[in-house]
Amino acid sequence: MRLAALLFISIAMLAQTAPEEKPVPAERSLTGSVDLGYRWISGVGGSFDTYRSIVDLGEGPKLFGVDLTLAQPGNKFFDRAEIHGNNWGDPYNTARARIVKTGIYDFSADYRNIAYFNFLPSFANPLIDRGVILNERSFDIHRRMANFNLELRPGARIVPYVSYTRDSGHGRGITSFVSDANEYPVATHPRDKNDDFRGGVRLVHKRLHVTIEEGGTRFKDDQNVFTSDHNSGNRSTPVLGQQLFLDRLVQAYGIRTSGSYTRALLTANPFEWLELSGQFRYSQLHGDVSYNQDNSGQFVQLQPFLFFTREVTLLSGQASQPHIAGSFGAALRPLRRLRILENWTTDRLHTASSALLDSQLFNTPADTVTLSTPSADRLVWNYSTQQIEVLFDVTSHLMIRAGHRYVWGNASNRAPQLGDPSGIETGEIRRQAGLAGIAFRTGQKLRLNADFEGSPGDRTWFRTSLNEYRKFRARASYQLFNSLLLAADFSLLNNNNPAPDIQYSLRNRNTSLALEWAPAGAKRFSLSGEYTRSTLSSDALFRIPQTLEQDRSFYRDRAHIASGFLDLHLPASGRVTPRLSFGGSFFKASGTRPTSYYQPAINLFIPIGPHVEWTTQWRWYGFREPLYGYEDFRSNQLMVVLRLTR
Amino acid sequence: MTWPPPSRCAVFTPPGGRAMWLAAALFFGLLRVPAATQAQEKTEAKAEAKTEAKTYVGSEVCQACHEEVFKNFQKNPHRSVETGSRAEWKGNACESCHGPGSKHAEAAEAAEIRNPAKLPAAQSEAVCLACHSNKPPRVQSSHAKNEVACVTCHTMHKSQEELVRRAPAAVNQQCAGCHTSVSAQFRKPYHHRLAENAMSCVDCHNPHGSFLAASQRTVFASEPACVQCHADKRGPFVFEHAPVRLEGCAGCHQPHGSSNPRMLARPQVRTLCLECHANIGVTTAQPTTTLGGIPPAFHDLRSPRYQNCTICHVKIHGSNVSRALLR
Repeated sequence: MRLAALLFISIAMLAQTAPEEKPVPAERSLTGSVDLGYRWISGVGGSFDTYRSIVDLGEGPKLFGVDLTLAQPGNKFFDRAEIHGNNWGDPYNTARARIVKTGIYDFSADYRNIAYFNFLPSFANPLIDRGVILNERSFDIHRRMANFNLELRPGARIVPYVSYTRDSGHGRGITSFVSDANEYPVATHPRDKNDDFRGGVRLVHKRLHVTIEEGGTRFKDDQNVFTSDHNSGNRSTPVLGQQLFLDRLVQAYGIRTSGSYTRALLTANPFEWLELSGQFRYSQLHGDVSYNQDNSGQFVQLQPFLFFTREVTLLSGQASQPHIAGSFGAALRPLRRLRILENWTTDRLHTASSALLDSQLFNTPADTVTLSTPSADRLVWNYSTQQIEVLFDVTSHLMIRAGHRYVWGNASNRAPQLGDPSGIETGEIRRQAGLAGIAFRTGQKLRLNADFEGSPGDRTWFRTSLNEYRKFRARASYQLFNSLLLAADFSLLNNNNPAPDIQYSLRNRNTSLALEWAPAGAKRFSLSGEYTRSTLSSDALFRIPQTLEQDRSFYRDRAHIASGFLDLHLPASGRVTPRLSFGGSFFKASGTRPTSYYQPAINLFIPIGPHVEWTTQWRWYGFREPLYGYEDFRSNQLMVVLRLTR
Repeated sequence: MTWPPPSRCAVFTPPGGRAMWLAAALFFGLLRVPAATQAQEKTEAKAEAKTEAKTYVGSEVCQACHEEVFKNFQKNPHRSVETGSRAEWKGNACESCHGPGSKHAEAAEAAEIRNPAKLPAAQSEAVCLACHSNKPPRVQSSHAKNEVACVTCHTMHKSQEELVRRAPAAVNQQCAGCHTSVSAQFRKPYHHRLAENAMSCVDCHNPHGSFLAASQRTVFASEPACVQCHADKRGPFVFEHAPVRLEGCAGCHQPHGSSNPRMLARPQVRTLCLECHANIGVTTAQPTTTLGGIPPAFHDLRSPRYQNCTICHVKIHGSNVSRALLR
């Protein structure tokens, strides 16, 4: 509140002290549009939970969109104000406001509220073989994000700014309470909040730009889990004749993280032929943890082996994470046609933590075992890259480039091993990669660019990380006629790790074609569409845990994805020229998880007056998974929208 | 009218002087110059000299023929160049980008004026960056390297909405114009809410370039944009899950869209986990060189109870209580 008042006063004062500008012809205007409407849903056939997990649109009145701009040149306090909003009444809604007084301030506020519902019967369902449909990793939460940014004297040599961001999440869900030999699905109430404050200044000179920013962050997580229902858990068999169950549980997390960060960015252009840029980023986060747990029922501890009926656990811990990153880049133009780009980056992160876990296990009030477990953990990550590229303009239409990138780093992480519970594992990355590219264009008609990157591989972090890889990407667009634009996009990634105990290979290829056709300025009809063929295959060795026999993990995903719309101008009736548009999108995948997802739609636009348009939309959602038939759904939706424009 | 010095409009001045060559040699050891390129430079230097003969005429002269452009320009933030605090271009906003227009005004020939939209990308960019130098990573961005100039995305003469698109639908449509196959990923059933206009590409990517790979936007100090919304995954955690830091979210998720629940890279959680935690390191005489060598877990994966590892390892992104990420 105080911050808002300060901001308001600052804005007002700045507006008062605004330098006199020469009179501007006043052209005050309010422009924009408002889309109001109503959506009907015929009733969802099939799995309503899956429908909510994927589509989650509901019935009722909606404010589908607001887009208003008020221009007030010459106004004392502002000369432009904007309000934008989307999907109010739906699970994902956004709003944005911006007020600008040219040369004095630029204030913007963003808000979004996104509902995350996820309850997929096939996911995290350990009781499926008993016919119980329960996703034990499900949630129904809202995340709300707001961002406020105030920039003073935009466009001037010195531009100070302040920002505030809040992100919060709350809701409910199902999670597991894990005790040795059994786990129990229980209700959870996630609740977290993050506040971020930052302020800085941009110094803009003809040949030098510097930004210095200082920020602070505060995070808290107050997730709690509570149940007082009898719960047999996922284990159906007794342990040494004892049936395990949970009668009551309270879990309370109290996590508080705070820290500060500094960023400095610099761009310098000391000569026409040299451009330098650099960044420095430093953050220091510290977290304090308190955790309480009180559960009663019948439980077993495997090491040391004992049965107990109640457990009270307290944990206090802390984690610290300094993080330093920096980069330096230079663009050198020794010749008009030649550019040399050099870039070096480094990123260093270190998490050090400790915790003390105290547990009391009760069998009877007189029979109590107290366990105290101190622990410490660490993660060290150092990562650097060095890259040089040479770009050469062969002609004014053709540019070629080639370069080299070297990536190196190391990491260490605590990873308990058999017989060594405090073991530390270390990893290294070493990668030499060749880079190449070409860009070609003839005026505005044809544009084409292609990139290649390849590495013979050396050492890498994880078994499935980039190792011995080749990436290729090409994009082209061609304006065949004024009315016809064709575009193509191709990407390929081959990645291998041939080590005998890994034998990982990944092939990912995407090919897309798109067209925009609007003959005669789209007076009668226009057509837009795109089609993508996407294939992914992955193979890797692993050992089956219960037998330690070697097996192969393989994944195949071959998808056709298309979308398009045909817009037709229907014959005029009086002054009204309605438009009909039909199309939609489809997705059909085969392979490891065959899926089809269709969304055909028809829109009828009827202009009622110069500033009013009526739209009727029908849309169908059809989702089908042959391997998980109980997740299929289909739904008809009818929507009417009244658009008011000014 | 006081005109700015003509040399200001020369975006690329052919370099010269020992200092530059010495710096070049020191930095990169580049000493050879193709003869053909030198000849080309001479031709272009002559053209430049020709340009220098031109003088500035002021925006009012431009208005006489380009009435529509001038009218639209009044709603454009670049109008502040005409009236703003930086005196050097006052009254010459058009020529601040297009160069001196005297010959063009006399001859009414398109060839007599600089059109940044038709220049090679690097030259066109230099026109913009003369003022907008506040894009430090721009030099290294993939857009810059692929000759995607500023004017490809920013329409200079029209309204503010067309100059910088901010509405999610408009941003997404613009990006999809080139990134067709990425746009298609959002048609998959499990995706971030771009198609619903609750998000836009620039929420996660910085089109001007970034410190991180794939032009990922950074938030706070230097963290990936994912944690701006998923703040609960940010940490630091008492017990970290290393790949979250080392590989990022894309190590396990397909953030644009996936056929698999939770946008996971595999349809079954167990295969995703076992591909790294392969239980191999401890069984071979020579330990693997990669991270992830936890001790073997003897769970019976034939039972649905063990097929989704995150049923028990609930804090898979990092835990503050359990080293095994159980709570």
